[in-house]
Amino acid sequence: MTPGASNARPAPAAIEVHDARVRLGDTDVLRGVNLRVPMGQMVALIGPNGSGKTTLLRCLLGLQRLDAGNVRILGEPVGPKVLRRVGYVPQRLPLDPSFALCVREFLALRRPDTRLWFFRRTRATDDILLRHAPGLGMEPLLSRPLSGLSGGQLQRVLIAYSLLGDPELLLLDEPTAGVDTPGEQDFYQLIGDVHARLGITIVLVSHDLGMVFRRASWVYALNGVICCEGRPEEVINANSLKAAYGIHVTPYHHHHHSHAPVPPEGVPITLHRR
Amino acid sequence: MPDFLMEPFMQRALLMALALGPACGLLGVFVTARRMSFFSDTIAHSALTGVAAGFLAGFEDPTLPVLSFCIMVAVTMLWLRERTRLLNDTIMAVLLSVSVAMGVILLSLQRNRWAELDKYLLGDVLSVGWSDVAWAAAAAVAVTVAVLASLNPLALLAAHEDLAHVSGARVRLLNYGFVILLTLAVSLSIRALGILLVTSMVVLPPATARMLVHTLRAHVLLTVAFGLTGAVGGVLLSYPLNLPTGPTVTMTFGALFAASLLVARLRSPARP
Ligand SMILES: Nc1ncnc2c1ncn2[C@@H]1O[C@H](COP(=O)(O)OP(=O)(O)O)[C@@H](O)[C@H]1O
Ligand SMILES: [Mg+2]
Repeated sequence: MTPGASNARPAPAAIEVHDARVRLGDTDVLRGVNLRVPMGQMVALIGPNGSGKTTLLRCLLGLQRLDAGNVRILGEPVGPKVLRRVGYVPQRLPLDPSFALCVREFLALRRPDTRLWFFRRTRATDDILLRHAPGLGMEPLLSRPLSGLSGGQLQRVLIAYSLLGDPELLLLDEPTAGVDTPGEQDFYQLIGDVHARLGITIVLVSHDLGMVFRRASWVYALNGVICCEGRPEEVINANSLKAAYGIHVTPYHHHHHSHAPVPPEGVPITLHRR
Repeated sequence: MPDFLMEPFMQRALLMALALGPACGLLGVFVTARRMSFFSDTIAHSALTGVAAGFLAGFEDPTLPVLSFCIMVAVTMLWLRERTRLLNDTIMAVLLSVSVAMGVILLSLQRNRWAELDKYLLGDVLSVGWSDVAWAAAAAVAVTVAVLASLNPLALLAAHEDLAHVSGARVRLLNYGFVILLTLAVSLSIRALGILLVTSMVVLPPATARMLVHTLRAHVLLTVAFGLTGAVGGVLLSYPLNLPTGPTVTMTFGALFAASLLVARLRSPARP
């Protein structure tokens, strides 16, 4: 069952992956991934470290060639044309501190209408940047150097950058890596707000299940293949997840509640490889 | 005006500095950001083989053989980086040492050319001809136009290569284009600074400017200003002081660097 299954006709898919296979070095990282993400949903892609989450995202973005299978995003094959409609927040911004770039200059790189001659600062540029990435607290950061931001600030700048392209699909790779725990709560709140406001498809990649319960409507568990998918409360208790792929879930081994187990704020539930 | 400024050799040297100082600095902004300083050094050292092979093939002016050989080495480096799992540093160290050894051996086969070794290792800007000036001016125009026209994608590429790709930048074209421009600027600057010191003109001006600014706009402007000041200033100083020109230019860059370090320290003692 998928989120759109109750409709008579399936909604157009934001992401369709058919039998994707990728081998890196001596490792078969993706071993036949099948995936269909309907439009407008906020979903999570989870899996232990090294399970191929980043590799799968790179395939969706045309950064990694498939050895077999195929990928379509927003109904089109991956290419420069469709990538214009996609936002991407990478796992890390390995920015060299010797590169001078302030937040305003970095954000302006995403929009042709702010590519003023040689980064001249104008009121109009700032207006465009703030209008297209509202609610992210960018205004006080605009003149700050990118290399001097905290993990949480940098993460918000990267989200603002991705939203400036007016994406229809937003892919976030481990968005809370490098953000402290209280910051994480704000962060998921912020992503939730973006989803509520824009109604775009959002894929959150994470090895942290805590947020999945509160935010995602559907969860895909990856370990070389999609080993399990469903609503968050189904996936976390799925025997197939534990047995078939050597993953177990802590600390919620058992529960006897009739409703979905919502972990307390700030307590991540993490998938481990056994 | 001091007499020595009327000398044509001095005018040619000053024009070389005027053209190449700012151009190398402009490229250097991205070279330092992308940790390519050693790359630039490798290209410079490979010029020795270009010089020796050029003489052996009967060229009086080795500019063209040097350019072709350096571009060949640069493209080989990019190719090896894409196709092998060797580390960048390793690839460059291999190409650098092999081209120096090959250059020296090829020169040793031509005893009458042995004296040229110093000229290329240490530079001799006071001996350049008008054709060298013309090459330098053409390279400076090409570098300035290309870098300013692709400033946005270059900046994005330096910030995050994958993000640049997803944002629609033509990453491969930019990488190759940038490396070819860098090769052009570095190999022509060898006549001024010599193989041993040419990287100083690429790396020192952006490093000097970086300590004083934190926007790309200011970084580019200040780097070009330092590149110009250091190159022209060094040539001007070397004559009355009767010092070798290339090392004097590098020392001028070094003095600017030290001054900028001091200013940055005084402004904010916590930061380097
Ligand atoms: N360039 C590479 N060469 C060889 N192996 C790689 C390469 N990149 C990633 N891998 C391997 O692929 C596997 C999946 O990596 P990745 O997609 O980053 O996982 P995740 O994002 O889920 O942590 C890991 O085992 C990793 O070691
Ligand atoms: Mg990853």
